[in-house]
Amino acid sequence: MTPLFAKLFDQLDERLHVRGDARKAANKVFPSNWSFLLGEVALFSLVILVLTGTFLTFFYSPNVEAVTYTGTNPVFAGRSLPAAFESIVRLSSDINGGLLFRRLHRGASHLFIATIVLHMLRILLTGAFRKPREINYFVGIGLLTLAFGAGFTGYSLPYDSLAGTGIRIAYTELLSLPLIGDRIAFWIFGGAFPTGDVIPRFFVLHVMILPAALIGTVGLHLFIIYRQKHTQFPRLGVDGHRLVLGKPLWPLQFAESATLFLWTAGLLAAAAVLIPWSDVTLLGPYVPGEVGNNAQPDWFLFWLEGALRIFPPIEFGVPGGMIISGPFVAGVVLPGLIFAFLGIYPFIEKRRYKLEGEWHVLQNPLEIPLRAGVMLGVFSALLILSAAATNDILSRMLGIPIEVITWIARVAVIVVPVVLGLGIARYARRRLDRKGRDVPTSEVEEQQRYIAA
Amino acid sequence: MSGHESEPRRPDLTIVSEETPPPSEANDALVIGSAIIAALAGVGFAVALALGTSLAVYGSALAIGLLALGFGVRRYFSDLFPDIEAVEPRHPEPDASEEAVSAIEPLERRSLLRNALIGAGGILGLGIVGSTVPSLGPAPGDTLTRTAWRRGTRLVTTDGEPIRADNVASGGVATVWPEGAIDNEISAVILVRVGDVGFAPPTNLDWVVNGELVAYSKVCTHAGCPVGLFREQDNALFCPCHQSTFDAVRGAIPTFGPTARALPQLPLGTNAEGFLIALGDFKELVGPAYG
Repeated sequence: MTPLFAKLFDQLDERLHVRGDARKAANKVFPSNWSFLLGEVALFSLVILVLTGTFLTFFYSPNVEAVTYTGTNPVFAGRSLPAAFESIVRLSSDINGGLLFRRLHRGASHLFIATIVLHMLRILLTGAFRKPREINYFVGIGLLTLAFGAGFTGYSLPYDSLAGTGIRIAYTELLSLPLIGDRIAFWIFGGAFPTGDVIPRFFVLHVMILPAALIGTVGLHLFIIYRQKHTQFPRLGVDGHRLVLGKPLWPLQFAESATLFLWTAGLLAAAAVLIPWSDVTLLGPYVPGEVGNNAQPDWFLFWLEGALRIFPPIEFGVPGGMIISGPFVAGVVLPGLIFAFLGIYPFIEKRRYKLEGEWHVLQNPLEIPLRAGVMLGVFSALLILSAAATNDILSRMLGIPIEVITWIARVAVIVVPVVLGLGIARYARRRLDRKGRDVPTSEVEEQQRYIAA
Repeated sequence: MSGHESEPRRPDLTIVSEETPPPSEANDALVIGSAIIAALAGVGFAVALALGTSLAVYGSALAIGLLALGFGVRRYFSDLFPDIEAVEPRHPEPDASEEAVSAIEPLERRSLLRNALIGAGGILGLGIVGSTVPSLGPAPGDTLTRTAWRRGTRLVTTDGEPIRADNVASGGVATVWPEGAIDNEISAVILVRVGDVGFAPPTNLDWVVNGELVAYSKVCTHAGCPVGLFREQDNALFCPCHQSTFDAVRGAIPTFGPTARALPQLPLGTNAEGFLIALGDFKELVGPAYG
């Protein structure tokens, strides 16, 4: 360490007595594997989101009153636009570096959610959700939900034609809640769509409440990881149940993380040059009663959009005055069930295989037939639903009538996950039989194989 | 960390494997080289931005600077510190002196007092939340069931122009609004002039003008998007959001897609001057189902 840093540290230590804790932290061991970096990239994306988002906040106007744009953008010069949209055009066209920050923010938001989803997939496939990590698994599901909320409100703020349409659909979903839907929708929107309140409210959610919740929850997530120590992949000759093997935090893990942060930021800057994220000039402002073709949400909501598109036309009253509609089942019940199922899955697996004790060593999902089947089933269904969100584009590209594409998706979303799920579960079972093994019920027993080797 | 070769560098770390890199001038050159590139890129970014050049220039400078700095940091650390793999026990020995908080026993007393406090806290909290939340928005009342259409309201274009019955192109659609309520989302109407096809039930023929003009709510009964597209060959109204399809000559009943309900038909007529008017509000629920 450099003398200056050492001196500063000594001064701090004299006052706070942090020498021992700092040394312990420096010696903290981090197992290494490329897939452990996914969550880290998500964290760095969040840092970049906060930094770029702060810049955007200085220019954005959370207001839908019509104002006249007087800047240099030739498409909108002299036109009357909603203030929110106008401020985005001004930021993009008339503020030096504004477009770069917008694109960095947009790119980082996609990377943030994508790495969270991949990170979650890793957790699910390798079994990192097992005892003692159930709490952190729930915290992670909470983070994904918050990230979706931040993504959706951020998508809405420019108040372009897609944003307005997305807000309208969200309003419909709230209205569709049986019995209390209209009340809840009016509380959130401040009245009937499109109120002047919705953009200021989404703004507060997007720049204050959701970021604060995200940062707090990430802190909790990291604290729990720090307490519980990271999981690791099995290694011959190592008892992973009792020992954690990896790089110390200082300097190796620190060096790796610092590099990863800089490279993440660098790649996002390159993406900002190459990809014209969210070009509002192509979309135009939201105008009630108007929407163009290719009305798609951001990719991470494709599965919900697809469910809305292919769900059969139902709408019926239930005694007691309730109305159950397609948007309610496809847009509220279905995602609720999927999230609830992901939430209870650790306990289903624990019960099914009578798992005991703590688990710290990751597994190949083929070692657990139920997990292999369930995960392939659920995620193939989500992918098919996501594909169905582009049924209009597919129809045009392939020259197949949209009715046919929709029916293919309706059948596929039921059949494919079942066939794939049962198929892989059966394959995994046979694979275990062939190796003469069964699903281990405790990690101590499981680790004998690796220690003996 | 000023290590002396004779004693272990990190006595408190259980090191399993350690690989010390040999001194390398090539590595020094890489670190210095990437530092120079990163610094130049930083200057380039600042200058390009200040001069107001294009995003491609300063964005690239930023990308190159960050990537080069990351590369330099990596080379710097890998040269300066040995590559270590270390182990830690997962479960340190529990401290015997640690006792659970729950072991702090209160004296034996009646549980009524505790329950009274918990209950009071709950009631207070519910009272605060329950009285604040309704302030967030008005009661729905009839805002979801009534639109701005009244008997005699003229149909106007988005520019506010009233419409003559003989002024709508055949096989065409137009978005129209109640006069005085342009952009009132729930009142959006799509005016359709079909070619020489006859209307069939459940179209209300009393609300068809000149045997060819019909008006439907433009708010999709599925999720509320504007039903903005018209396919002339089969007189289909089509929603671009979720592809609900309606038959414009059969009372806009759904023929495909996720919606279960027809678009409400606007009671349409003409006034003495020949302008299109509404004969009243919609008779059915406009837009998606709720509650």
